[in-house]
Amino acid sequence: MLEISNVRKTFNAGTANEVRSLQGISLAIEEGSFVVVIGSNGSGKSTLLNAVAGAFTVDEGSLSVDGHDVTRWPEYKRASLIGRVFQNPFSGSAPHLSIAENLALASRRGKTRGLGWAQGGDLRPRMLETVKGLGMGLEMRLDNAIGSLSGGQRQALTLLMATWLKPKVLLLDEHTAALDPRSAEQIIRITNSIVARDGLTTMMVTHSMQQAVTYGDRLVMLHRGKVIQDFSGSEKSRLRPEDLLARFEEVRRADLLDSTAAQLLRRRYI
Amino acid sequence: MSLVLGALTIGCILALLALGVFVSFRIFAFPDLTAEGTVTLGAAVSASLIVHGFDPATATAMAVLAGAAAGMVTGILHTRFKINGLLAGILVMTALYSVNLHIMGRSNIPLMGSATFTTWAGKLAAAGHLGETVRLLGRDVAVVDLTVLGVALLFVVLVAIALHAFFRTHLGTAMRATGDNPQMIRALGASDDNMITAGLALSNGLVAMAGALLAQYQGFADVQMGIGMLVWGLASVIIGEALIGTGKLGHLFAGAVFGSVIFRLLVAVALRWGLDPNDLKFITAAFVFLALVSPGLLAKLRGPAGAENVNA
Repeated sequence: MLEISNVRKTFNAGTANEVRSLQGISLAIEEGSFVVVIGSNGSGKSTLLNAVAGAFTVDEGSLSVDGHDVTRWPEYKRASLIGRVFQNPFSGSAPHLSIAENLALASRRGKTRGLGWAQGGDLRPRMLETVKGLGMGLEMRLDNAIGSLSGGQRQALTLLMATWLKPKVLLLDEHTAALDPRSAEQIIRITNSIVARDGLTTMMVTHSMQQAVTYGDRLVMLHRGKVIQDFSGSEKSRLRPEDLLARFEEVRRADLLDSTAAQLLRRRYI
Repeated sequence: MSLVLGALTIGCILALLALGVFVSFRIFAFPDLTAEGTVTLGAAVSASLIVHGFDPATATAMAVLAGAAAGMVTGILHTRFKINGLLAGILVMTALYSVNLHIMGRSNIPLMGSATFTTWAGKLAAAGHLGETVRLLGRDVAVVDLTVLGVALLFVVLVAIALHAFFRTHLGTAMRATGDNPQMIRALGASDDNMITAGLALSNGLVAMAGALLAQYQGFADVQMGIGMLVWGLASVIIGEALIGTGKLGHLFAGAVFGSVIFRLLVAVALRWGLDPNDLKFITAAFVFLALVSPGLLAKLRGPAGAENVNA
């Protein structure tokens, strides 16, 4: 469903601030697979999601979604295949528009937007029903500006918006990281039930080791722009948070070793 | 009384300008200086066509198209060539000055004796057989003036209703979302670049329509008539928001129309009381400055509790 082949991206190439974010990442994600992506800060996990979404074009490699080579597609065009939820709960909805208007926009994701009424047809009753399913009481407030809601409520609605039309790929970029623990728990549960219900092909970046081991059927660990670990099947389901933390520690030690070894060599030979 | 009627009529015509400025400034948060050039462009196109024998409706329609094209150029400069929005507007406004002179062939075109929407309204009044004047609020009022005002008002109300409807369609809602959160509208599959370009075309089409009707009403097009028009439109939008509020989309459009009429009326009264017309633009600019900073100042005076009342 999603094919990432040897993708590379360097920001500020040739300057002092050069960052090699993605250094040849390849991943093939099958239809219906729920992939969790973890990695330390600067490992390139969010960058990888943004590369798929088309926030920038990659330097090398190719991306294909549902058989379409999207490597050169602009961000808005890829949105016809991809649903997204961002880390910032304010990024996914228009604050001055009502809940209903935001959902109406989502109901045309990737389609032409003509002069039909935004909330025409059977959209309104469907909104009522779907929003009621969140269990947040928001169905009573469909015509309120979405900016008046809490971060958790907005994130739940963004999730509905991203999946209103079944996306070929759903991208979740640390979408619970900015929420309080209770809201985060609520959002991750809603996420899991929507993904399971619609059998969505999903990539979820997370900081939470607990989420990483509990959800998804595959886990990919990134480090310095490369895939260093890829667990799936029973291997994934047996993982515990401690295993992941141990692996992180191992990687950190290897990094330290790298720099100390380099120093050692330098002292000896230069 | 005819002074009041005149002020009301110009207020109605300039309400189209206020609606155009509302679209660019409030919906897209884009201070679009192109408007200063498109007011004149609208006047120039319609006046030139009218003196060449075109009927006022065709001339006004062509003016709207010309304005929309100018807005599109600004949009393309801003979105495709990544030029700062203010600068893109200034570039197009400056270029339009030459374009307008070429269209008019000189700096001023008088429309005396030509068929305009005003003479058309005059014929309508004559067909009504209402006589020369009617008594209104204890004064004699020329029926012609009243009909012109009625036609202008009806026209503006129809345009405002059409805009209100448009901004509730799929396309219109996407445009509003673009001004609110461009990241979100890209993630939902609409090109924010295209939305901004189309929005500026719409905005400048409305502004050119105001210019075309203003030229026909005052009986001439002048290459200088656009100066200060953006600030004028902003003042109208701000007055409308203060009087009618920003609660609903409909309030905003009604506010822009109402604000324009009230503002023109205030100006007419001030001029009558002896305000030097040369000071008008200074006072308008000072007013917009005060209106822009006062919500923040008031919030500060009220203390931290009032600070969260500031809305965009």
